[in-house]
Amino acid sequence: MSPPLGESVYEVFARKSRGDPLRHIGYVDAPGVELARVYAWKTYDEENWFEMCVVPRGAVIPVNRPEGPWARNLPKEGDER
Amino acid sequence: MSPYTEDELKAKIHGGYILESPEEMTPGYRKAIIVQLTVQADTELMSAPAYWLAARHAPSTNTQVSAHAIIQDELAHANIAYRLLEDMGVSKEHLVYGREPHEFKHPYGFDQPLDNWAELVVANGFFDRAGICLLGDVHRNTSYGPLKRALVKVDMEETFHLRHGEVWMRRLARAGGAATELLQRCVDWMFPMTIEWFGLPDGLKRHSGQLDYKLKGLTNDELRQLWMSSTVPLCEGLGLKAPAHYDEQKEEYVLEYPFPCQYDPEVKRWLFEDGEITWQAVFERWKGRGPMNERYVESVRRSRGAVGSWLN
Ligand SMILES: [Fe+2]
Ligand SMILES: [Fe+2]
Repeated sequence: MSPPLGESVYEVFARKSRGDPLRHIGYVDAPGVELARVYAWKTYDEENWFEMCVVPRGAVIPVNRPEGPWARNLPKEGDER
Repeated sequence: MSPYTEDELKAKIHGGYILESPEEMTPGYRKAIIVQLTVQADTELMSAPAYWLAARHAPSTNTQVSAHAIIQDELAHANIAYRLLEDMGVSKEHLVYGREPHEFKHPYGFDQPLDNWAELVVANGFFDRAGICLLGDVHRNTSYGPLKRALVKVDMEETFHLRHGEVWMRRLARAGGAATELLQRCVDWMFPMTIEWFGLPDGLKRHSGQLDYKLKGLTNDELRQLWMSSTVPLCEGLGLKAPAHYDEQKEEYVLEYPFPCQYDPEVKRWLFEDGEITWQAVFERWKGRGPMNERYVESVRRSRGAVGSWLN
């Protein structure tokens, strides 16, 4: 199998128009922030988004749910992050 | 580990429960959704090279743009489905780059060459419509939240692919002469190809769990009927002969040829005259894959090894 290209997951959030909520619309795999922005913009082009942003998956900290794709980011016992 | 037994989860799902993470899945659920998503992802992925090779036949720069926009959508759809699988612990790397071409799970229709502009637009009119029937049903019914949300984009874009197909089919049908003849030839091989795509009739269907877990809502025969209910009137309206009609007595569409039957991919012709064959024979043909299988798979991944090795 070919070597992986060093990609990690970025969550994609977007707002359709002014006044709309920022919604989680999907995710892309990218080797860094710059390409994550490009891939997100090119992948989720079904709307003329007013605003779009990407967040590294590792930066999303769950507050009340101990499972799902962000669970691994939960602070460990005694962790002072 | 799922907090539920298989029966508990099925009961909850039928009460409207939506799963939000792979941790909630039972082994049965996980297995069923992995099969479903792999078929979905592979189908989207293999439609891209099929349409890409056909897009060379686009008659203008405008049509080049619309054809390639569709290909771009399909690759994004594939990527989204593989990404969902990755969150279930299935390696996208392996699925896309680690399998033999014949191990992909897309339908036999996407192993066939699309040799001219008419074939491309009928593929949009027929195959993309099949996609809408299948994925629209998943969108309305799936018990997996992340998939339901991902399909908002997919459904929206597939509707555009279908419209592209219909508008161009209408233009070619109106032209008459060679254009209409070519269009009819497309219908002759691509209509039965799509019918077969929906798989085993309900009476013969092996139990897959997809309905128990509400991964979809309609059965194979219901989906086949749904597809015919828009495709047959479309063809009739364009003066094209589709091998099916609505039976008032039965209150459903009926096929006018032996189903299933054998296909000769070299000449793109269904062997109606040889009569009905078994589904076992159909599965063998599918397993043997069609003429473009290796070329299509290679065309989406040929540069991976080289670029990957430069970067490592
Ligand atoms: Fe698609
Ligand atoms: Fe499509």
